[in-house]
Amino acid sequence: MGSVTIQNLVKRYGGLEVLHGIDLTVEDGKFVVLLGPSGCGKSTLLRMIAGLETVSSGDIAIGEQRVNDMHPKDRNIAMVFQNYALYAHMSVRENMAFSMRLKKTAQAEVDERVNWAASILSLEPYLDRFPKELSGGQRQRVAMGRAIVRNPDVFLFDEPLSNLDAKLRVQMRKEIKELHQRLKTTTVYVTHDQIEAMTMADQVVIMRDGVIEQIGTPLDIYDNPDNLFVAQFIGSPGMNLLSGEIVQGAGGKMFQTGDVTCELPQNSAAMVGQKVLYGIRPEHLQASMQGSGLSATVTVVEPTGPEIHLYATLAGHEICAIAHQRLDWKPDDELKLNPMVDRVHLFDAETKVAIPAG
Amino acid sequence: MHDSTLKLTLRYLVSILIVGIFVFPIAWWGLTSVKPISAVFDKDRIVVFDFEPTLENYRVTVLGYSKRGSKEDGKTLMGTSGNNSYDGRSSIVSSVIVAVGSTLITTIFALLASYGLSRMRFWGSQGYLNWILSQRFLPPVAIIVPLVFIFHDMGLRDTHAGLIIAHTLINIPIAVLLLKSFMDDIPIDIDQAAMIDGATRFQCFWMVILPMVKGGLAATAVLCFVFSWTEFLLSLFLTSSIRTIPVKITTYVTSTGSEWGYISALGTSAILPSFIFILLVQRHLVRGLTMGAIKD
Repeated sequence: MGSVTIQNLVKRYGGLEVLHGIDLTVEDGKFVVLLGPSGCGKSTLLRMIAGLETVSSGDIAIGEQRVNDMHPKDRNIAMVFQNYALYAHMSVRENMAFSMRLKKTAQAEVDERVNWAASILSLEPYLDRFPKELSGGQRQRVAMGRAIVRNPDVFLFDEPLSNLDAKLRVQMRKEIKELHQRLKTTTVYVTHDQIEAMTMADQVVIMRDGVIEQIGTPLDIYDNPDNLFVAQFIGSPGMNLLSGEIVQGAGGKMFQTGDVTCELPQNSAAMVGQKVLYGIRPEHLQASMQGSGLSATVTVVEPTGPEIHLYATLAGHEICAIAHQRLDWKPDDELKLNPMVDRVHLFDAETKVAIPAG
Repeated sequence: MHDSTLKLTLRYLVSILIVGIFVFPIAWWGLTSVKPISAVFDKDRIVVFDFEPTLENYRVTVLGYSKRGSKEDGKTLMGTSGNNSYDGRSSIVSSVIVAVGSTLITTIFALLASYGLSRMRFWGSQGYLNWILSQRFLPPVAIIVPLVFIFHDMGLRDTHAGLIIAHTLINIPIAVLLLKSFMDDIPIDIDQAAMIDGATRFQCFWMVILPMVKGGLAATAVLCFVFSWTEFLLSLFLTSSIRTIPVKITTYVTSTGSEWGYISALGTSAILPSFIFILLVQRHLVRGLTMGAIKD
């Protein structure tokens, strides 16, 4: 009943097309995150689902019902806004009860629903306070409470955590996920924060310039990016990319850039002579102080606590490796790097599309 | 410690000075209204406090006693039948009717217009705002002659309704502009949240936006009221028997001299109703009504 189906959805503002034929199915009860840089159209897509933006062409259905021309209030959705959008002149209780007051719900039921939502969100002590008397996290919880009291078919979140400080963001992230696990309401969540997307989503939808670049589970997207954009967008520090070409080596096809050659996975579909980008994530570059491997020179050392980020130059390329041993790395040290061959990604230099590993 | 005491003293001195500059004319006006004529026109010295206060000016202008009848022993109420040309009571009533009426109508119209202009995109909405504002580009005196004819032909000349309409027309542009800026301060997300919560456009306006824009509404109402209360030119030309206070006061300047006592008495009394009005609305004149609605 709470699935969302989007078919060939287009949004134009005058002559400017911002969404170019989006197809997406959000299954009932799933937590889907729309992820992308600012201006990619993710918020527009969410607002179209909410009914706050008109549909230029294509279809949106919630459950079995086509909702293109339906007023937001008739879609049985609830939305949490980036800036909370609370009713400042109403108490927390009134904020949460507002939608039921409009529906003229019986007072007993209103009280029951509000108390239920307040208990889930630990808002009981604040029910008679006004939004201005609450902290940022509490306000965000009120906004969520306003959404859950209605028992909607779909929850829509528009960057709900981006106004919170880092610590609170981690806490609220967990709370939203717990809430979803408990209520199992279909959720569409917009963010530009890849950590939020990775940690919360059942499915991540990566968008750029009004098109969907890839849809998949967080780990699938991380491990098997379809194209260069997705590979670069996901992961921090980002994937290392070296441009070069495929050459025939002694043991099979090899990647070559300058005088550096790297092994490729067996059965790689890359063809000899093809111009490619060689991608490897920092944690898949094993760094050591001596031994065999590619020689690089350390430029910056960043200890983060659990690991150490080593920035280095390799054949004129800036690269990053993650080391877990607490060795005494220093700038200008020589570094030996061994890429994990089965974790290598290849992208065609022209089309930027991933070349299958085999 | 010493330094901060000095600073504080200086700060108070400057505040007192500034407040003094603003209060002095009003206080002097009030003082003049209780002075006997001999104290107002003393050619040898400036009389500040050493005079015998009298309420005669008020008896004549506000209570309607005749000029002669108000003398110390007089208890005859001659002026009430209209014989007393200094009786300002009907002009106080007229001013209240016109100011309250035009303020009410202006704020209602401006409220609806500013909501539309702030929230709805329609063809020419930007030009529309400029057009509204352009109504104020021309000084009212430039249109006074056609206005008098139009009002006369429509039977609106010399009526309260006519003056209310005239003041409303003059006030609406500023009121719309002002209220629109208050509405623009409320993020559109609030409207959208309300609509997703199930509100119709009107419910959204009535239950959510209006309470949040209360402060702006009060400020606008005060401005409109004060404008209408003190407006002179339109009232002068559009009325003859109805006299608002500013027009009435000018009739105290006669061929035989200016009645400073009456002018100051009616002028001082005229401060009162607008003062009361402002007192009534000023509790709404607080900033930050939207505080807490969004991330600050």
